[in-house]
Amino acid sequence: MHLLEVENLTKRFGGLAAVNNVSFHVDEGEIVGLIGPNGAGKTTLFNLITGFLKPDSGTVKFRGEDITGLAPNKIVNKGVVRTFQVVRPFRHLPTIANVLVALASPRGSKKIEWLRTPEAKALLILEKVGLTEMMMEPAEILSHGDLKRLEIARALATEPELMLLDEPFGGMSPIETDFLTKSIRTMHLDGHTMFIVEHKLYALMKLAQRIVVLHYGEKIAEGKPEEVAKNKKVREVYMGGAM
Amino acid sequence: MSTRLVNTLIEQIIIFGTIYSGMLALLAIGFTLIYGVTGVVNMAHGALFMLGAYIFWVLTASFGPSGVPLVQLDLGPALILAVILTGIVGAFIYRLVIHSIIEDLAAVLVATVGVLIIIQELMIIEFGSYRWPVVPLWEGFVTVWGVKVTYSQLLAFAVSLCLFVGLWVFIAFTKIGKAMRAVSQDREMAMEVGINTERLYMLTMGISSAFAAIAGVLITASTTGFAYPHMWDRPLYWSFAIVILGGLGSIKGTLTGAFIIGFAENAFIFILVELGWGGVEFLRGVVALVAMVIVLLLRPKGLFGKRIEMEE
Amino acid sequence: MSTYLRRAYSSFATHILDIPPRLLALLFLLLLLAFPLTKPRSTYLIILTAANMGAIFAASWDLLVGRCGQMNLGHALFFGTGAYITALLNFHLGWPIGVTIPLAVLTTVAIAVLVGFPSLRVKGPYLALVTMALPLIATGIVFYFKDWTGGERPLSGLDHFFSFLPYEQWFIAQYYFTLLLLVVSGIIIYKIANSHKIGVIFVSILDDELSSRASGINTTKYKLMAFALSALFASLAGAISAHLAHLRSTDIGMLSLTTTFLAVIMTIFGGVGTIYGPIAGAFILQFLQRYVLVEVVEVETHWQMIIFLGLIVVLIIKWPRGIAKFTTDKLEDLAEERPIEERGKHIWKRERKKKSSHEG
Repeated sequence: MHLLEVENLTKRFGGLAAVNNVSFHVDEGEIVGLIGPNGAGKTTLFNLITGFLKPDSGTVKFRGEDITGLAPNKIVNKGVVRTFQVVRPFRHLPTIANVLVALASPRGSKKIEWLRTPEAKALLILEKVGLTEMMMEPAEILSHGDLKRLEIARALATEPELMLLDEPFGGMSPIETDFLTKSIRTMHLDGHTMFIVEHKLYALMKLAQRIVVLHYGEKIAEGKPEEVAKNKKVREVYMGGAM
Repeated sequence: MSTRLVNTLIEQIIIFGTIYSGMLALLAIGFTLIYGVTGVVNMAHGALFMLGAYIFWVLTASFGPSGVPLVQLDLGPALILAVILTGIVGAFIYRLVIHSIIEDLAAVLVATVGVLIIIQELMIIEFGSYRWPVVPLWEGFVTVWGVKVTYSQLLAFAVSLCLFVGLWVFIAFTKIGKAMRAVSQDREMAMEVGINTERLYMLTMGISSAFAAIAGVLITASTTGFAYPHMWDRPLYWSFAIVILGGLGSIKGTLTGAFIIGFAENAFIFILVELGWGGVEFLRGVVALVAMVIVLLLRPKGLFGKRIEMEE
Repeated sequence: MSTYLRRAYSSFATHILDIPPRLLALLFLLLLLAFPLTKPRSTYLIILTAANMGAIFAASWDLLVGRCGQMNLGHALFFGTGAYITALLNFHLGWPIGVTIPLAVLTTVAIAVLVGFPSLRVKGPYLALVTMALPLIATGIVFYFKDWTGGERPLSGLDHFFSFLPYEQWFIAQYYFTLLLLVVSGIIIYKIANSHKIGVIFVSILDDELSSRASGINTTKYKLMAFALSALFASLAGAISAHLAHLRSTDIGMLSLTTTFLAVIMTIFGGVGTIYGPIAGAFILQFLQRYVLVEVVEVETHWQMIIFLGLIVVLIIKWPRGIAKFTTDKLEDLAEERPIEERGKHIWKRERKKKSSHEG
């Protein structure tokens, strides 16, 4: 059984199909990448999977259970979490409190082991993404790179099985990109399955075991990174792009 | 008590429903216009309604608070003056209060309610808590289908209809109207195209206030007949209800909402009276509110609710 | 006022006077406790009693609006409903206020949950309009049943507190009683607002409800909780107010927009979102309203209202989003420089002593 199974997912806005009959799957323990030019429907696909949008047709199954169109918070509590491309921190809360929110969710609080307080666990999570120094600062003064890491910290706090990361490397310096790549590998080893949308293809190439390619809402290719790189259709679509 | 035939009840509902709906549409269109174009929920809308009625009374009264006649203009000029003055007040409110906080919905809500109450208190201070007569614009009545309708009500209905159509034409065909539509759809884009949103907003606020004032005079003259400091409440509730039913910012929706509320309210009241329950006139605003709450529970964004829907 | 004045005040207190805000609050409380020793006229006691109730009313509004971000322009609904229910039970059925007040509060909270559940599905301007409509509907109900409620006329002749004491002691007794209620309520509301589960979730909803849901939070549940808590304390204020010795009545004004706006004014004066801000704001307002504007300058009621509203309109324009940044001592302890393991253990053991904290 696949961890995540997406079948014939379609979403139209007005007359335009943002996501058109897309099907694919993600197996437990994989890192799968999702690429495609701007406007290809990647974020829409994320929204459909995680309950932020209801599809016009098609299904989303997690561990065999149909989660199509469930409320976003319910989906998180089943073990599927997503980060946002444009970060959405809680500006009035200090960094650590941002993580406490996720730890206060039903799933997050269930998994706080005996002998630990939420605050201690939050600290550990901040450690994993390298944000301990900023922990008392209000989130609104954090740099862009820090905020991206905070997104991931919050996602981790929900103890997910499947993490959907929407352009996690966006706007990061090479050093930050390096650090994040290592963090993602660590999370992967910790047992989290990842589904990552990214523009910075070189970063994704190193991480992903499989890549799905979207174009105008349709899946045009799927396979190992090297195969996808050689795919004629994909090269056309990305002509002159960062392949 | 009542010896009216059921026929007359239905006719009453139809006739008064229509007349009311026309007037309510005029009242609510100002509220929805300002929201559609600027995104502002103007709680002071009811106060501008009240201001129109009060100014009209001051200008036409044959006796004032101290017993002495004030200005005593003719009805026509008085109406026009009341409308213009209120429009100016509205523009002022925009420039002074709303302009700097327009991005923050909560701030706008609180500030405009503040203005609303300030105007109410000013009316109390200036004119006391009494009820001042707002004269009917046209004496006399006519009988339509066995129902007594005053000329004042007919006039109000006719004027409302004309103005509503006029506004629709204005928005559809004039340059300014097109600018309004552009801004209501995409503010940044409109600014890039060179539309001066500040001046447009002030103008919209002025028009919205003017409409509120006209409604203030017409509705008051043909229904209750007097001005008092708390008279902003019903118009405001009606505006809420209509605009929520129809969706904030939608002209089509406002018209629909006005008709739904106009008919529902009149049907409700007349039926109650028919059943022998007296003294239910005060329920007028309340019915609208209950209807609004019910609709919102079922459709959290109103019946046509989108923020931006100005085109017909 | 809001953040800037609060920061200035807090700065002043900690840097110049070298007194932490906590201590200042304690000093103020001591002042309030000691006040009756100066043998003041009962008018002043009445003013402060009203301030005590106003403070609870305002704090409850701030919890819902300033902390959880749900605009509520109909707060008077809770106040008035609490007042009317206890009044009706006491007046018509003759039940003692020790019974009617808790019943009134419970009923109002139940109504709040009933009404809140559908209402909180709507957002932004729609929520504002719905909340504004609710007390108006309640007013309509009061008018409709005017044989029972008195309609426009106040329902007076209710029982009042401490009637078993001689007349001279009524006002002082109820002053301390309401002060006690304020302290207890204030502490409860403050602790909830700053708790690391509920309080933090409230702020997350205020900041970005979508993001909060993306973290697994059932925001509807928490919004409802905020609504119910807000109703609890507001109705308590209303029910108690109905039975104060100098009032002993309930009237339609308790459901009015002006009443709601008193909470708004107090909160804005004191600082939105802080909880102690509205409490301070209540006293500031009473001071300005009953003392300065009446005794000193002699301004009549309607001008008073205009002045206060004018002030808050100006405040709003100058500092629209004067919301505090939310931290608590507990978290600040965490920020001490120590190795991670130690920190973890330390929190678990909770040994920390507090330094004089300066909250940002």
